[in-house]
Amino acid sequence: MTITYDDKTPRQFMIASIVWGLVGMLVGVIAASQLSWWQANGQFIETITFGAIKTEGLSWLTYGRLRPLHTNAVIFAFVGNMAFSGIYYSTQRLCKCRTASDRLSKIHFWGWQAIIVGAVVTFPLGLTQSKEYAELIWPLDIAVALIWVIFAINFFWTLAKRNEPSLYVALWFYIATIITVAMLYIVNNLQIPTSLTHSYPIFGGLQDALVQWWYGHNAVAFFLTTPILGIMYYFLPKAANRPVYSYRLSIIHFWALVFIYIWAGPHHLLNTALPQWLQTLGMLFSLMLWAPSWGGMLNGLLTLRGGWSQLRTDPVIKFFAAGITFYGMATFEGPLLAIRAVNELSHYTDWGIGHVHSGALGWNGLMAAGMFYWLAPRFWKTELWSKSLANLHFWIALVGILLYVAAMWTAGITQGLMLSQMNEQGTGLKYEFIDTLLAIRWPYYFRTFGGSLYLIGFALCAFNIWKTAKSGSPVNGTAEVTPLEREKKDFLGLKAIFAHKSVQHIFCVIFFTILWIFAPRGGDYAALALVIVFSVLAVRAFRRDVQSWADFHDRLLENYIPLTVLAFIAVAIGGAVQIIPTLIVDRAKNIEGRLQEIYTPLELAGRDIYVAEGCYGCHSQMIRTLKPDVMRYGRIGVNDDYSHLGESIYDFPHQWGSKRTGPDLAREGGPATDDAMLLRSGKRDNLWHFNHFLNPRQLSPGSNMPPYPWFFEDKTDFKSLPGRIAVQRRLGVPFPAMTKDEIEQNAREQALAIAATLPDAYIPGKEDLTGDKLRNYLAERKIIAMIAYMQKLGAYTKQELGKEKPDTFDPDQQRHFRHEKNDPKTTGQ
Amino acid sequence: MNQEKEQQEHRRADFASKKGEVVLRKHEYDGIQEFDQKLPNWWLLTFYGAIVFYLIYWFVYYQAGLIKTDQQAVTEIMAEIQEKRADALEKTLDSLSDKILVHEWATDASIVAEGEALYMKQCFACHGPNLDAPNKLGLSLVDGEWKYGDKPKEIFKLINEGSPADSKGMAPTGAKMVPWGGTYSPKQIAQLVAFIISKNPKDFAKF
Repeated sequence: MTITYDDKTPRQFMIASIVWGLVGMLVGVIAASQLSWWQANGQFIETITFGAIKTEGLSWLTYGRLRPLHTNAVIFAFVGNMAFSGIYYSTQRLCKCRTASDRLSKIHFWGWQAIIVGAVVTFPLGLTQSKEYAELIWPLDIAVALIWVIFAINFFWTLAKRNEPSLYVALWFYIATIITVAMLYIVNNLQIPTSLTHSYPIFGGLQDALVQWWYGHNAVAFFLTTPILGIMYYFLPKAANRPVYSYRLSIIHFWALVFIYIWAGPHHLLNTALPQWLQTLGMLFSLMLWAPSWGGMLNGLLTLRGGWSQLRTDPVIKFFAAGITFYGMATFEGPLLAIRAVNELSHYTDWGIGHVHSGALGWNGLMAAGMFYWLAPRFWKTELWSKSLANLHFWIALVGILLYVAAMWTAGITQGLMLSQMNEQGTGLKYEFIDTLLAIRWPYYFRTFGGSLYLIGFALCAFNIWKTAKSGSPVNGTAEVTPLEREKKDFLGLKAIFAHKSVQHIFCVIFFTILWIFAPRGGDYAALALVIVFSVLAVRAFRRDVQSWADFHDRLLENYIPLTVLAFIAVAIGGAVQIIPTLIVDRAKNIEGRLQEIYTPLELAGRDIYVAEGCYGCHSQMIRTLKPDVMRYGRIGVNDDYSHLGESIYDFPHQWGSKRTGPDLAREGGPATDDAMLLRSGKRDNLWHFNHFLNPRQLSPGSNMPPYPWFFEDKTDFKSLPGRIAVQRRLGVPFPAMTKDEIEQNAREQALAIAATLPDAYIPGKEDLTGDKLRNYLAERKIIAMIAYMQKLGAYTKQELGKEKPDTFDPDQQRHFRHEKNDPKTTGQ
Repeated sequence: MNQEKEQQEHRRADFASKKGEVVLRKHEYDGIQEFDQKLPNWWLLTFYGAIVFYLIYWFVYYQAGLIKTDQQAVTEIMAEIQEKRADALEKTLDSLSDKILVHEWATDASIVAEGEALYMKQCFACHGPNLDAPNKLGLSLVDGEWKYGDKPKEIFKLINEGSPADSKGMAPTGAKMVPWGGTYSPKQIAQLVAFIISKNPKDFAKF
């Protein structure tokens, strides 16, 4: 019988991807130019509007708000829509049937675009959760989850209806994508709303950091990598008209990739307060991830083996080959950066930014373009409008990426080296933070230029596709298919998965390896012995009966539910092993001797402003256990002044950050100076902060921090504080009992006290405000709440906790008890 | 075209039947074919190598306890630096006297220039480019008042250690100066003192 595929859905997704891609990249270029020239949001806007807009900086265009818009637009709107396009197109053909439901496809498409519009509106307004790549506020999170479920139903329903008994490797990757993203997204977005647009995550401090980067790292893995690998497996052999290099490589690298990737999340938190066992797992699994990632690259590049001549003639192959090469480069760089010693230098610098752009521009962007150029002629039944324009796009994009990445390597390594350089006498650091920022001005200009080139290239692509579409008319593909008899597919029950010895053997090895991590003294050696025994047994069983293992996998491919369940188990293990123990270990005891002081209502209000403005985009609050960090940000004479676990225990969400374009703020604050604890004396005083928010360069020449004029206009939201504090109490923060009125009164009292220390404060345009008028004006404004928060940063009380026996689920405590219990020198952390 | 050629060269089968044979898999998916090439040895080696490294690393750290924790390591390093700093400070202070600072350092144009360069990087933000603290973030350094002692070595101490712990700070903000001994070396602090003296020759003429 003849079937007609639904090509309207992938066509729409492709157009959406191109449109949002342009938007996302443009926002990226704007954000990059703001880092190069702080005037980009300010004087520059005055100039291009011929003075119609007079501003020192528009709040909704400020870097802290644009950055999440850029990252989310590129990840979820550009790559997301591109992946949906490829998945809808190829799944139908690999299943030899039309997508199960046109209605669900339609809801998926329009729902997803509506969510993106929601993001474009909310981020510039400062509505954010400030969890990286999960910044969307809770109503949009729910929408994402619903639309994702609709996508999943539509996809799995199509698999169920398929007329092709066996699932091709591309589909395995799509399956892994759908189930894993659902798991990650839901867990990382567990939160309690305080209003329609604001919420607190249910995890705080360390727990939030761990869950966030389990999510953040695997958003890269399962949103930007696995769907694109699936797309590579379909579109590359199609375009090259060559067989895929190796089927068995597909199997090994697929299972290894999905199992190992999940464990690597903690490599985003190396050398921080994150418990060392998690850091160790993060590093070691990242190293193990190298080979599985390169398996994908090999299967891509070697498929082209013998067909390299196509590189010269076919822009599609050119884009694919370069994209896969960038994948290889980025997945080599990833494990390298995950080595703790390398990470000392690279973390918090632009090297990380360069790394993600190798992936986003090189791998995702070039693969997207290759797929668009291949699909467009088929979507509109015509020829590609201009091959030479596509070639031009390729070269512009390539030069753009190389400039971008090289600039970021230079910036990252230069800054990393400068930050750790000691003075001649070896008694202090040679450079101040601002020196390192000034040293990388030129790489920043080149980054902006490289990014702009890439955007121009992509605009050429958009134009080419538009012209192609106009030269043809939309068509839907058709195929002759023989309906598949029911018993030829999906005949295995779930039990069958665990009945085969291959699965049993592998599970035993994994189980004892995990047991080895947690087992108490004595048990650990037994577990290690069992790991070795079961590994040997597994290898022997495999050697003896390769055929049966291979047949089992072939049968698995004819049964989509068991395959999906097995894939889910593979991706669930890593997260469970890392997160569940971290949640179980007694939070009140796991603080390394320092317990964070509770925020006053005004300080909390200030913190929520900090979170809303996206300050974490440039400032960390984490002094790593490294010499340059402790020297630069710790207090003189306190040798163990790295950030301890308990110091951020009440932070919902955590603000450890991932990039330092400005200095770390973990110890910006200081002790209280009055009995009522309303005033504090931190590294800088209130007036310094006041002037610095007004004009950072006045106090820190060469700084590229934007001014925040709206802090001096906008009022602090005192009314919402009781609701917010009530939610934090539910989350376990021991706020003192206060009535609603007391909370508001307390906040206003502290605001007035701080405002009273600024009698000579000068606000441009408000010269008439003096004395009590000035004080009352200031007390209402965001600036005072921000100052309150700045002065509180890093406040803690010392807590001595005797420990009788180690927590079962804390390998570091186990180690401590095993090796250091009787050594008084090492017990006093 | 290409595929036809490959088909002739390779046997169609699900699996290789003898060692080293490369088959073209029987099954096609929407026209896509798959070889079943052997996994490259160097690739397998990196994979196995990483797994073995995992076992060894975990054993050395957790089982054998051979490596210090990060916290121990960095605390020890900081203690060493602290000692070095104290030594350097002692040496610098021993070699300096109020007299030397006023009559040798503060009169040496190159030393004063170095001090000025340092001053213009950080200090000026609170004490003003002309040392008169116009924005009232810090105390004036040219008003003849030396709140925490008027001896050059007392000024040295103040820069090095920050405002004394019992100080109430500056009214009305309660601002206190942070210690700069972590940022600047003793020599640099002496240069700063020299620069300040050079701007207040009358105040220090008595030494």
